[in-house]
Amino acid sequence: MSVIVDLVLGIVTSIGGFVEVGSISTSAQAGSEYGFQLLWAIAVAGAMLALLTEMSGRLSVMSRRSLAAAVRERFGIHFQVVPLASELVLDLLLLTAELGGAGIAVKLLTGIGFQWAIIPIAMVVWAVLWFSGFAVVEHGIGLLGLVTLSFVVSAWRLGPDAGDLARSLIPSLPTHDHVRYAFLAISIVGATVSPYLLNFYASGTLEEEMKQEELWVNTATTFGGNMFGTVVAMGGLVTSAMVLQPLHIQVDSYEQAALMFVPAFGRWAVALFALSLGIGCIGAALEISLNTGYVLSQVFGWSWSANRPRAENARFSCAFTCVLIAATAIAVLGFDPLRLTMISVALTVVVMPVMVLPFLVLMNDTKFVKARTNTPVGNAILAVLTLAGALFALVVIPLEILGG
Amino acid sequence: MHLVRDLLDKAVVDRNGREMGRVDRVVLDLRDGAPPRVVSIEVGASALGRRLGRRCGRWAAALLHAFGVDEGQPLRIHVSQILGVTDTVKVDLAFGETSAANVERTLRRIVAAVPGANR
Repeated sequence: MSVIVDLVLGIVTSIGGFVEVGSISTSAQAGSEYGFQLLWAIAVAGAMLALLTEMSGRLSVMSRRSLAAAVRERFGIHFQVVPLASELVLDLLLLTAELGGAGIAVKLLTGIGFQWAIIPIAMVVWAVLWFSGFAVVEHGIGLLGLVTLSFVVSAWRLGPDAGDLARSLIPSLPTHDHVRYAFLAISIVGATVSPYLLNFYASGTLEEEMKQEELWVNTATTFGGNMFGTVVAMGGLVTSAMVLQPLHIQVDSYEQAALMFVPAFGRWAVALFALSLGIGCIGAALEISLNTGYVLSQVFGWSWSANRPRAENARFSCAFTCVLIAATAIAVLGFDPLRLTMISVALTVVVMPVMVLPFLVLMNDTKFVKARTNTPVGNAILAVLTLAGALFALVVIPLEILGG
Repeated sequence: MHLVRDLLDKAVVDRNGREMGRVDRVVLDLRDGAPPRVVSIEVGASALGRRLGRRCGRWAAALLHAFGVDEGQPLRIHVSQILGVTDTVKVDLAFGETSAANVERTLRRIVAAVPGANR
């Protein structure tokens, strides 16, 4: 039974990775513009996230430190300033985008302008964080997040050709607009492998007091959970490819993305899409806010835990409250959530080496992970993918901006 | 012991295991004709800021001052008060009685007034 409970943590984390504002929009755009052709990018992103979350869980279980704390101890504050600042900026941008995404969901359901919904949504997010412990946040998002399976149901009802799907798992060159194709591939990776997920998951295993002999549970949850997320994101891409591409609809707003549910769900389409988007975004907003509190507390050595009274860890409580207030203020100014999302996911890929490479060093340091160091294959895959992704992003993003 | 590897940036806990911060600076005594000796460790935002640069140190101190939690000087813990160095640096102090708790104490007064904060 406890294994099932632990598996929820993996699923929750993967919902933050796949089924939130960034992933829904990148999958929908990729499907509507290139059909199934970018499915491989979701598979690569899913594999990367699975490897990275497994590592962050292993690090925290073996060393009793989260990723942020271990980086401070191993590399010192002079180095950590860079990844810390990057993570805080990305957390703020993403949190703003998630609040905007949840606002759009409310707009789709009720017709109320999305900016009006943002403050009440932020208050709900804050109240959940303030009044409940880690387990409630975790299991709540996990259970509600199951509604995102509607992407898979939708794709299944549309009956895609299995051979076409399998062929799309092998990367291929597009027939048109190569820069856009590369940009979308990078965005899919950036939307999936969000830095906050790694420290959030590591802190989660510490909150849950996972033991060293339960390390296999960590492996099972991270790979199982990420598989769930990968399949859901693929469902989004397939649905978009089969519904929007034939109609030549290019997704430049969430209202258009919602149309892709119409063939599978009829009059329930918009409501189901809005629920999936809303729950995904609120789940991610909870995780990002908490993670900001975790990261600051762990770097500076403050006491932290979502399971202790808020007044007992006043700095931690203030940290997650402040980031939520800041993101709400930016979101209310009325930035287009879709554009904000695309900026933050592209930035993620650029700064990824600063976060992943020191992480790999930690995962090979027996002082932290004892005998459970990484395999050379795992090291090589992650180092190559991260560096290649960042270099590629540095070329493609300016081209996309100039071209677009 | 390697000071940078084994002491600097480690978490500092008080005698009850409560987190106090991290080893933000190590104070050495440079002696003529003898190896340098560790005198104390410093914990606090102003020490950390100063390590990042003089300007950062001034900003950190000014920020703390603006919020009325002026530590004046960062908390300096003499080596004789260090109980042991393992995964953390355990010191023979009580967090709440030191200046390292100033910010936490000030914020706690605000946080504790919010419903649900003490549950």
